[in-house]
Amino acid sequence: MDRREILKLASGAFLCLQLPAAEPGAPLFFTPDEFELLDKLTELIIPTDDHSSGAHAAGVAAYIDRTVAEAYVPDEKTSWRRGLAEVHKLLEEPGAQSAAVLTKLAANEKDPQTEAEKFFTQLKQTTAFAYYSSSLGIHEEMGYLGNVILEQFKGYDAS
Amino acid sequence: MLLQFPAANNPEVDLKTTYDAVIVGSGAGGGMAAHVLTAHGLKVLLLEAGKAQDTSKILHSMQWPYDHPRRGKIPPEYHALTNEYSIRKPPYAQDSPYKNVQSYVQAWGGSDYSKTLVVNEKEHPYTGTRYAWVRSRAVGGKTNIWGRLALRLSDYDFKAKDRDGFGENWPISYADIEPYYDKVDLYLGISGHPENLPYLPDSKFQRPVRLNHAEMHLRETLKGMGRVLTPYRAGVTTDGLKHNKYRSRCYGRGACSRHTGGCDIHAAFDSPTGLIRPAMDTGNLTLRTNATVYEVTVDKNTGKATGVSFIDTETRKNYQAKARTVLLAASTLESARLMLLSKSSAHPNGIGNSSGHVGHNFCEHVMGPSVAGFMKELVGKPRTLDDGRPGGFYVARFRNLDKRSDFLRAYGYEGGSGTTMIPGTAYTSPGFGEEYKKHVRDYAGATISMGAFGEVLARYENAVGIDPHMKDAFGIPVLRFSYQFGENERKMAADMAVAAREMFEAAKFEIVSSSDKMLPEGWSIHELGTARMGNDPKTSVVNQFQQSHDVKNLLVVDGATHVSASCQNPTWTIMALCWRSCDNLAELLKKGEV
Repeated sequence: MDRREILKLASGAFLCLQLPAAEPGAPLFFTPDEFELLDKLTELIIPTDDHSSGAHAAGVAAYIDRTVAEAYVPDEKTSWRRGLAEVHKLLEEPGAQSAAVLTKLAANEKDPQTEAEKFFTQLKQTTAFAYYSSSLGIHEEMGYLGNVILEQFKGYDAS
Repeated sequence: MLLQFPAANNPEVDLKTTYDAVIVGSGAGGGMAAHVLTAHGLKVLLLEAGKAQDTSKILHSMQWPYDHPRRGKIPPEYHALTNEYSIRKPPYAQDSPYKNVQSYVQAWGGSDYSKTLVVNEKEHPYTGTRYAWVRSRAVGGKTNIWGRLALRLSDYDFKAKDRDGFGENWPISYADIEPYYDKVDLYLGISGHPENLPYLPDSKFQRPVRLNHAEMHLRETLKGMGRVLTPYRAGVTTDGLKHNKYRSRCYGRGACSRHTGGCDIHAAFDSPTGLIRPAMDTGNLTLRTNATVYEVTVDKNTGKATGVSFIDTETRKNYQAKARTVLLAASTLESARLMLLSKSSAHPNGIGNSSGHVGHNFCEHVMGPSVAGFMKELVGKPRTLDDGRPGGFYVARFRNLDKRSDFLRAYGYEGGSGTTMIPGTAYTSPGFGEEYKKHVRDYAGATISMGAFGEVLARYENAVGIDPHMKDAFGIPVLRFSYQFGENERKMAADMAVAAREMFEAAKFEIVSSSDKMLPEGWSIHELGTARMGNDPKTSVVNQFQQSHDVKNLLVVDGATHVSASCQNPTWTIMALCWRSCDNLAELLKKGEV
């Protein structure tokens, strides 16, 4: 390979790096305000604690943004947007505290009734999946020991 | 390095030859027929409606979810039918905005693997009563996604009518089929622990799956109640198979539960590497993929089968294959559909259907009732590795053995304990915040749960027939279901839930949830009985060697021939019966008696 080819490749690589980096970290679907709220809510659901980092560090909002952006049916997109707007409204009420708002929404999580309650359940389930399937969730938080080649499972013989 | 199944499809095979046998379908039944007949030196053509796939290219079993763009989930244009089965009637996918609509199995985690294995409901509709019909069109069929629980039936099943007067006895007893169960065990490998139970006979087991702390505790508790919890009897080779170079022994990677079944080292049995590839190595097997069979052809004068007609799934061209014998192994419902579609002057009700029983006596397993909880002593304990094995445990049947219940027949439970890669407690722990997060963490290793599988009675009125109007993507008339759970299933389901709670309470587990709800019909993916065997040609479709009473050179070698569902999973019995029938067929062909 001669020097000119190396230069050509290098400039190509440079271009590749430049294009997607034009707007670093910009959400694919949500507006910056929506994304900020989503990020805040996911971190409230799974916060950083003494044991490990939380949803923000695990990039949960970015994962949700990616999946909603590629949703095949428009409804899936609008329901997320509507849900965030509902929660936003509740948080904007005078004297509203985010933890208290979520506590109220979580009260009926097994059988949600209102739009906001239904959204909370959807948000929590999605956040749980995104967090506990992330590297941080699997290794740092849960200390999962599997997905390795075992000679023999540790346990009891049934006899 | 394991040899892989060749993924290339072979559209042009020799169709001028009259084969000794043509087999329709390449799952457990079709694969076994190919293995046994080719081993007898017979020339066999195996037709599969789907494609050949290289599992290692589509199943990245040890890939971490965060290394997959969708964390192992299916692409956005795919939709999994889940709730639809309970709120709508078939045909399900007609108005769906999604490009691909697939059965509920796609809703399980890690299901990106199976998106090319299960059919698109838009191309394959059906009508009538609700039914969660999971179909796989690919070489190996549902053995690519099966749950691996490999159980034997006993005379409690084969002679159930003698015990309770319901339905029909099988034309065989356990003594007839036992040597063939042994053959299947030794050829394919099975893991388990002997328990010496007359109602759940032991296999020729390889190294058993071990139990973890909570499971062992439940086993001990149940002993005191006269019930048996045994390590999962998995159709998995845990010690390896010297005679099969396509399969490795199990290395406990925990991949089974993450990808809707499937094993890329083929420690879990699948038909392509367990049966078909070795059969091809004999030089006697020709495999034709993308071949959707729509008719069994018949000699006008003798009424005997002459072969099959099929359409190429990709080119839509029609072909004929000729053979001395035809073996149907297209799955319980598809084999019945094919028989009903094959009408001729010799067989006006469909081939092999002079009894009028084809499509009837349709049965399966009812599931849904379950219990989940925690073993308190394990909460907050250091992490253990709980999923490095092909399954957890099985609780053998205990109803209607000595005492009579208020329902007929029985059920067993499948269950497991401990944490998985993505812990179940992430979805079940209440609330949010630090408390929620700690709860998920502390309780993940302490969980234990089990769900029941029960025998659905084989009743004549539960049936499938041909829909007079609707056709599939290939212009082939589709099935119309007339099938519902009855009073016996409802009573049994109620008892499953009560008994499950009772056992967890006896073990002093803290119960978090339990259900007595039956999942919709079809959910167990264990359809059986639409062409049952029997001695009487008036009330059965095939004889004890799965040979049509009407057409001696037509066999049905899949779950369609089961006389009753038992509560024990059917795959191992499908293969043992098929082996026995194909040994018999080879003998008949040698003597020129078909």
